[in-house]
Amino acid sequence: MPKGVTDFLPEKAARIGFIEEKIRRVFELWGFRRLITPLLEFEDVLAVSMGDELKEKTFRFDDRQTGKLLVIPPDITPQVARIVATRMHASPLPHRLYYNGRVLRHAEIQSGRSREIFQAGVELIGLDSPEADAEMVAMAVEVLKGLGFDDFKVDIGQVEFFRGIMAASGIEQAARGRLQEAIRKKDASAVGEILARVDASDATKEQISALPRLFGGREVLAEAGRVVANDRSRAALDNLSHVLDILDVYGVSDYLTIDLGEIRGLDYYTGITFEGFVSGFGEEVCGGGRYDNLTSKYGFPSPATGFAFNVLALLNALEKRPELEGGRGTDFLIFNVKEDRREALEIATSLRNRGFTAARDIIRRDFDSSLAYAKKMNILRLMVIGGNLCSDDEVYIVRVADNKGVAVKKTELPGMNF
Amino acid sequence: MTDFITIAIPKGRILQESVALFKKIGIDCEELLSDTRKLVFENSEQKMRYMIVRATDVPTYVEYGCADLGIVGKDTLMEQDKDLYEPLDLKFGYCRLVVAEPAELSCTDDPSSWSNIRIATKYPNITEKYFAGKGVQVEIIKLYGSIELAPLVGLSERIVDLVSTGETLKQNGLVEVDTIAEITCRLIVNRASLKTRQKRISEIIGGLEKHF
Repeated sequence: MPKGVTDFLPEKAARIGFIEEKIRRVFELWGFRRLITPLLEFEDVLAVSMGDELKEKTFRFDDRQTGKLLVIPPDITPQVARIVATRMHASPLPHRLYYNGRVLRHAEIQSGRSREIFQAGVELIGLDSPEADAEMVAMAVEVLKGLGFDDFKVDIGQVEFFRGIMAASGIEQAARGRLQEAIRKKDASAVGEILARVDASDATKEQISALPRLFGGREVLAEAGRVVANDRSRAALDNLSHVLDILDVYGVSDYLTIDLGEIRGLDYYTGITFEGFVSGFGEEVCGGGRYDNLTSKYGFPSPATGFAFNVLALLNALEKRPELEGGRGTDFLIFNVKEDRREALEIATSLRNRGFTAARDIIRRDFDSSLAYAKKMNILRLMVIGGNLCSDDEVYIVRVADNKGVAVKKTELPGMNF
Repeated sequence: MTDFITIAIPKGRILQESVALFKKIGIDCEELLSDTRKLVFENSEQKMRYMIVRATDVPTYVEYGCADLGIVGKDTLMEQDKDLYEPLDLKFGYCRLVVAEPAELSCTDDPSSWSNIRIATKYPNITEKYFAGKGVQVEIIKLYGSIELAPLVGLSERIVDLVSTGETLKQNGLVEVDTIAEITCRLIVNRASLKTRQKRISEIIGGLEKHF
């Protein structure tokens, strides 16, 4: 198999399904509608809305039909921007859209990291208000809570704060690039060294050197307010403060941290940005932000905000917490000891009609092998029909986890909740 | 389990200086200096855990979140270029990353006319990047130790390596021709750790910062 792709066997696939279902449920509860995007796009079409870093990671090849360059999308947001701008521009705003799909990105050869990324995300298009940004963060918190995480943080930034300082600084482009890199790493000493060699006012230098340390709780806003003077950065702080006020109403403030030195995806985002982190897991599990310039690349200028979960990152984070539920096994394995299969099939059907999952153990084998099979297949209960474990008008139900069995009258089965 | 802060520290000289530094901010990890083969140490009172690893592995443990913090030389960080925070220059472990060549070659050599040169080094990525920035093509020979040997036996004309006093270069008849970077030890932090355990980690960073 090629590197960076994985076969997901039923146990893992079930957990992925469980996570995706939880996410989808939250998206739908908030009124988002699903969009299914194609697996192929023309390179020249998708490239207009992708940053350089993403372009370099894209899988490309020739289209036999047209001779043009095709790509397998490395991200779904550019596709949503294209679809909204070209296909949905006549409908009233805002659009609340969600997607759930896989994208491919080249990874470094040795790293063996996944090249396949399972994304589940939303885009809220047509709103520029802080409430729209707050909605994104609140949904992210709701999903993470719903998955059972308790110790997690959503870290919020505002790229306009950084841009405002840089634009007002008068520092030349090359030095700005180096500063940006150092700030991204919170490397305060490198920032200091670069600043020592550039021509800028003391006030500007003070603002820039504050950036690597402007992270923490809400007090960061006050600190930042004291150091900046330019209007653009002030507007960014006001905006962030609005978003935080709304998130306070949502009651999620305890899950938030603020980082004004967070400038990832600077060429893409235009306002609020955020990433979700789960304690004990080294990388982010979701990320997003405001991108007001994207749909205009396809001739339909519209403010927009959105975010996506990395489903495999969530899976790995969940697996570090085995006590959390990670997808249900099958409810019943129906094990028939009688010659006649009629009753077994009838009971299976009635269980399914009531919403229980039930698989028939069609192979003829003894009780112990059937129980071992149920254990292996993550089936919760084994139901024995016939045989000498119970009387004729009963079935025998074994809880697979601890082998505890109980005889139940067949007449009582339809009323039982197990 | 998760309320512990884990620090990855490399073996050797850096270990002693790190222990001394942490002691200054009230974090006691003298146990690391004891003569034992243990790799993980725990101080349950202070809720700290320490891992002793190879210097080049420190960024990996921190990147994957197995350690929240790490101490490592800037040379290793530059070479591996991982997505980590490097909030503090710890100022110890000073040395320089230089280009060196045999003394006799340097008499007639003009670095501005270099093209297509061959270089032996432990740092292929830094070397590649540095010379690409100058527009010079390089053939890189990756070695794992005793880099100074390469020019002596004709493996390469020049080397890129760390020097602290310059004594090793001198003894092998080599001279520095260019400095690529000045190197010190850095405190590195996993991104998720900084966000999810911001308070404790900020305290450690702030505490260490006061001692410079």
